[in-house]
Amino acid sequence: MTTQVIDKSLLDAAVKAMPDDRLAGLRREAADRFVSLGFPGTDHEDWKYTNLSDIEALSVAWLKGNPNLQPVSSVTDITDEVRSAIDAHWLLVRDGVADDMLPDIDGIEIERLVDADCSALSADDALSAFNVALLQDGLRIRVEPDAAPDRPLAILNIDSARQRVVQSRLVVELAAGARLELIECALSNGSGSQFTNSVVDVDLENAACLTHTRVQDRHPDHSGIYRLQASLARDANIRHSSFDFGGALSRNDVVTDIKGTGAAVGLNGLYLAGGEQHIDNHTSIIHGVGPATSDEEYRGILTGRAQCVFNGKVIVAEGADGTNSRQSNHNLLLSDRAEIDTKPELEIYADDVKCAHGATVGQLDHAALFYLQSRGLDRDQAKQILTRAFAAGMLSSLSVPACEDFVSARLDRRLAELVDDVDD
Amino acid sequence: MSKMLEIENLKARIAGNEILTGLNLVVSTGEVHAIMGPNGSGKSTLAQVIAGHADYDVTEGSVKFDGNDLLELEPEERAREGIFLGFQYPVEIPGVNNAYLLKAAVNAKRKHVGMDEIDAFEFLKLAREKMALLDMDQSFLNRGVNEGFSGGEKKRNEILQMAMLEPKLAILDETDSGLDIDALKAVANGVNALRHADRAIVLVTHYQRLLDYIEPDFVHVLSKGQIVRSGDKSLALELEEKGYEWVREVANA
Repeated sequence: MTTQVIDKSLLDAAVKAMPDDRLAGLRREAADRFVSLGFPGTDHEDWKYTNLSDIEALSVAWLKGNPNLQPVSSVTDITDEVRSAIDAHWLLVRDGVADDMLPDIDGIEIERLVDADCSALSADDALSAFNVALLQDGLRIRVEPDAAPDRPLAILNIDSARQRVVQSRLVVELAAGARLELIECALSNGSGSQFTNSVVDVDLENAACLTHTRVQDRHPDHSGIYRLQASLARDANIRHSSFDFGGALSRNDVVTDIKGTGAAVGLNGLYLAGGEQHIDNHTSIIHGVGPATSDEEYRGILTGRAQCVFNGKVIVAEGADGTNSRQSNHNLLLSDRAEIDTKPELEIYADDVKCAHGATVGQLDHAALFYLQSRGLDRDQAKQILTRAFAAGMLSSLSVPACEDFVSARLDRRLAELVDDVDD
Repeated sequence: MSKMLEIENLKARIAGNEILTGLNLVVSTGEVHAIMGPNGSGKSTLAQVIAGHADYDVTEGSVKFDGNDLLELEPEERAREGIFLGFQYPVEIPGVNNAYLLKAAVNAKRKHVGMDEIDAFEFLKLAREKMALLDMDQSFLNRGVNEGFSGGEKKRNEILQMAMLEPKLAILDETDSGLDIDALKAVANGVNALRHADRAIVLVTHYQRLLDYIEPDFVHVLSKGQIVRSGDKSLALELEEKGYEWVREVANA
């Protein structure tokens, strides 16, 4: 089989077919950049365990088929179910395009990227360039100085999952002293192959505080690459919690760049993978200045032939004294055919630094299983309780109470499926 | 009084080592038995084998509970039939709430005997009552199972589970080890409250001290995987006085 690659003519044709709007110039530049970079292969260190060839083949086939870029995902029961489960201001994004109804919230400005000044859309890495090249639209959210909305802002990204490729883009800017609880739900409304390429740019000015929760529970044939890049000014704070329950191939890149002293980064992730699922979390915390803190914990539960990756990079720049960084990754392997590749990557160029990291990979504790059985609980129930307890450690990190029940319900549903799939 | 637990010529091994080498014991309803013996004599193995720990292989002999073969049952089935093992080293389970486990355990048993699940109010009332008996703070209900508990708190928690489950046969493995005098009294209180003509209690212990608070009807001395002496409570005192060396001599004679 010959490798299917996106060549210049194919991409240019698609870009040309898109409307001549405010994004047009950015698209052309990004397309050129993407063509020179191409999809990263497994020979690239950051992509060693995550093979994008299926995603590239899907993209090629989709581009060749004169893609229809109009959203086809419709408002369904899922949308209503999710929206009623979380008390928030809701924004609906179907196949990367925001719904007509943008909520009107005190202290927040929400606009479409085609209507905004988008000179700042980053397109440095290949996937971000691919994102901009084929971007129809996106959202820009700006919270005014010292504003703190009464309720969380929640974005429901629902994709049609019908043999197509979707680019989604979100720009979040918090002015000095602003606070925002942002929730993103990524779901599918179909059952075909899909590739969704999402990029979120976050800019936190002095003492701004963003609590960001992302829940991905897509169809098993729906793959996604998600990149969140945040820049933190003095005393800014980001707490990001990510929950990956569904999907085929999911890759999350979370890059936080500490540019101001006193800033704090908190990253938490929980991934549940069964069957042939592949979930890759790459995080990168750049301590450009100090003192500042970062605290990171990811946990994974794997069954079947699932393959997961955790790569936690922490860079402490020269002079970033007073950096305090902690990182851990714990994995529960419920099948001997599941695979986890976990790697801390610390680059420290400063002297006065505290950096701790640790990773574990293990099975359910047999002593605990027997203990529960000796209290009358059957073995499956005991396994489920212990697995749930392992995951619960990450649920408690959720700092947005509004989505606790929602995440917890999705977690329980997925756990019940996975525990059925467990080797004895 | 009827025979509840009948152990005949029980031989069991773990990782290829034979620990129980032909043990015989009969426990009837209403009785309290103490099993004493030096370290490594097989006391804990006996407790674990009765509870059904999978790491132990029973190679010979039989264990009957209420006339039925116990060895063919899964650990959870044994528990539901009314066997309770108080662990020497209770397991810490972070993330599982103590109240949740208690309730799940009570309900597993109720389901087994065809009863409805316990309602929240009734459960809380029962739990509070039993905790008062054990001088336990109610905050323990909302903590992770044994998570960060002191040695004494863990043992009280075991007795709390026992009190909630009201087993027919309670086997308490070194429940007294590591307890200060207050904790020992509280634990003894809990055990004594459970003494009943329809129940039996087996105390596995290294020291005579516990028996000052829970008076046994029978005392057995275990050595090298067999019961080498049986008697009444005076045997425990004799043992305390003469030491386990005496048992070894008796066993070797």
